[in-house]
Amino acid sequence: MRLGPRRARSITVRLTLLFAVASTVVLLILGLIVAESVENHFEELDMTELAGKLELIRHVMARVRSPAELQGIPRQMEDAFFGHHGLVVAVQSAQGETLFASGHGPFPQALFDRRHTPGADRHPYVWQADGVAFRGIVAEARTGIAEGAPVVVALATDIAHHRSFMDAFMRTLWLTVVGGSLATGLLGWFAARRGLAPLREMRRQAAGVSAQRLDRRLPVEAVPVELAELAESLNDMLARLEASFRRLSDFSSDLAHELRTPVSNLMTQTQVALSRSRTTEAYREVLESNAEEFERLSRMISDMLFLAKSDNGLIVPGRETFDLADEVAALFDFYGALAEDKGVTLRLEGSAPVAADRLMLRRAVGNLLSNALRYTPAGGEIVARAHMLRDESGSTTARIEIENTGEPIPSAHMARLFDRFYRVDAARRNSGDGVGLGLAITRSILRAHGGDIEGRAGEGSNVFELWIPAADKSDQ
Amino acid sequence: MKILIVEDEPKTGDYLKQGLVEAGFNVDLVRDGMDGLHLGLSEAYDLLVLDVMLPGLDGWHVLQALRKVGKDMPVLFLTARDSVDDRVKGLELGADDYLVKPFAFAELLARVRTLLRRGTKNKELDALQVADLELDLMRRRVTRAGRRIDLTAKEFALLELLLRRQGEVLPRSLIASQVWDMNFDSDTNVIEVAVRRLRAKVDDPFEPKLIRTVRGMGYVLEAPACA
Repeated sequence: MRLGPRRARSITVRLTLLFAVASTVVLLILGLIVAESVENHFEELDMTELAGKLELIRHVMARVRSPAELQGIPRQMEDAFFGHHGLVVAVQSAQGETLFASGHGPFPQALFDRRHTPGADRHPYVWQADGVAFRGIVAEARTGIAEGAPVVVALATDIAHHRSFMDAFMRTLWLTVVGGSLATGLLGWFAARRGLAPLREMRRQAAGVSAQRLDRRLPVEAVPVELAELAESLNDMLARLEASFRRLSDFSSDLAHELRTPVSNLMTQTQVALSRSRTTEAYREVLESNAEEFERLSRMISDMLFLAKSDNGLIVPGRETFDLADEVAALFDFYGALAEDKGVTLRLEGSAPVAADRLMLRRAVGNLLSNALRYTPAGGEIVARAHMLRDESGSTTARIEIENTGEPIPSAHMARLFDRFYRVDAARRNSGDGVGLGLAITRSILRAHGGDIEGRAGEGSNVFELWIPAADKSDQ
Repeated sequence: MKILIVEDEPKTGDYLKQGLVEAGFNVDLVRDGMDGLHLGLSEAYDLLVLDVMLPGLDGWHVLQALRKVGKDMPVLFLTARDSVDDRVKGLELGADDYLVKPFAFAELLARVRTLLRRGTKNKELDALQVADLELDLMRRRVTRAGRRIDLTAKEFALLELLLRRQGEVLPRSLIASQVWDMNFDSDTNVIEVAVRRLRAKVDDPFEPKLIRTVRGMGYVLEAPACA
């Protein structure tokens, strides 16, 4: 059982081992094949010689005409085998009586016993006697004696020099294998180190990235093809990190700024009020103004908390089935009087049934409408169009398009409109309308539902389109 | 009406007590959970305002211990953390309502009154009246000084809310939630516009003015003589 993940072995070590093992296996197989064929070659040579001698002996035996002549065999044999070192011959009568024996050592009985085995004259029998190895064959040879039983001929050759050659060969082979493995291992180690040098370089570069220097990127062109993708992914990751990091730090500084203005108002106002004695009316005035300011602050805090929760994935939408158009209608009812006062017409078209969190979506659309209402000039119109859209991939989304007449928002602003505290017109910051969190909340609610919102400029109008997955698809 | 406040934050506790006393309640204030539990067990309160985070014994435990011995007075939780878990836990333990800090005092007062009203069986009225303003709930008709006033459905609902809770300052968020079912904080002045329109019909042509704006808090409807 392992406790926790084990660290993977270093790539250099792995490659080195791999090289060494591979070359060992290859060298070993090669060596064994060579050894086997040399051995076979030796055996073939021996067999050719033994077969030739056997032929000779058969020839000699065929010329023997009477048992008496058998006695003359040794001399003839010695003549025949003169000068053949390492060759031993024995001829036995059918009864097992040795007619002739040359060279060292006796033949083992096992060899003679093989004489009835088919093929014993072609397949050698190897044995050891007095520290000398022999390879021998056994065969019967007919004599020229009429009705005479064939004699048994055993032939063997001393294979000591073959053996010693093979031993030396195997020693060399093993040394070569071991040496070769070591050498390739070492070469492999060098190759791996050299090959991995770009990785170390990347590591060095990556080590230079810090919160203060998030703009650093890895050089994609300078790294080998194999690493280019990795470098690109890392760069993408860095870009995303940089973006979120920047947003976060912008957000903190915006937050501080947003809080500073009302707090400093409150402080100044209160301190001025306290600096001398005033009428009850004047005190009331200050307290009332403070109460309004506090209410704004408190609303900002709860909005911020909502956004913080949504950032941490803690917004879990409930699910009930309803029509988005009905929610828009309810919101139109709510904002109706205000719109009428401003001389703005509200119009609703279509329908879009969803299964979602009704309260959250009401808030999302409400923020959007309140924003639209704020920027629609008198005499303008806000049109909400609800519809379902089936895209190429076959998934259906419920959509609401809210179009309000007004100066088109430049696309540079449009993209950032849903960021926290972002306002198109920086001067509007302290005009008292909202704190610039409404649209950010709208977006986070839609995203929590798996949808999103997008804005685009129309002709003399702005269009905001929000969508969430439709009821049937999101039910799974 | 006797209310017990258990709140360890000194300023919050003091102002809550002052506010509720001035609203006409009989208020006891303690600073920690043990004292709260002790008083809650020994005295008879009509309502408990309980902070969740308390030294010694936290709000959950106080509530649990009180419910265990059968004390069933309504409990309003105050919490600094707006997490669903906290809410669910509080409601499961038998809290009747909760408020997330920071909250408007008007909101707290409105909730306290709602909770206290819940206990007493309110007999269904078919007409509401203040000064010379009359609301006929059955026929959905409004008259003032004998003259018929035409209101839209929402204007009627708003006036009914103000009349039912006359003398109470109703915060904008409560009005939005009760009349339009809008439970989010809207930063537009929708409620102001709605109230202004209602006033134009109900108050402007008449004397005395009944609907009053309490700046920084909300709106209240009352006959001037009672103020």
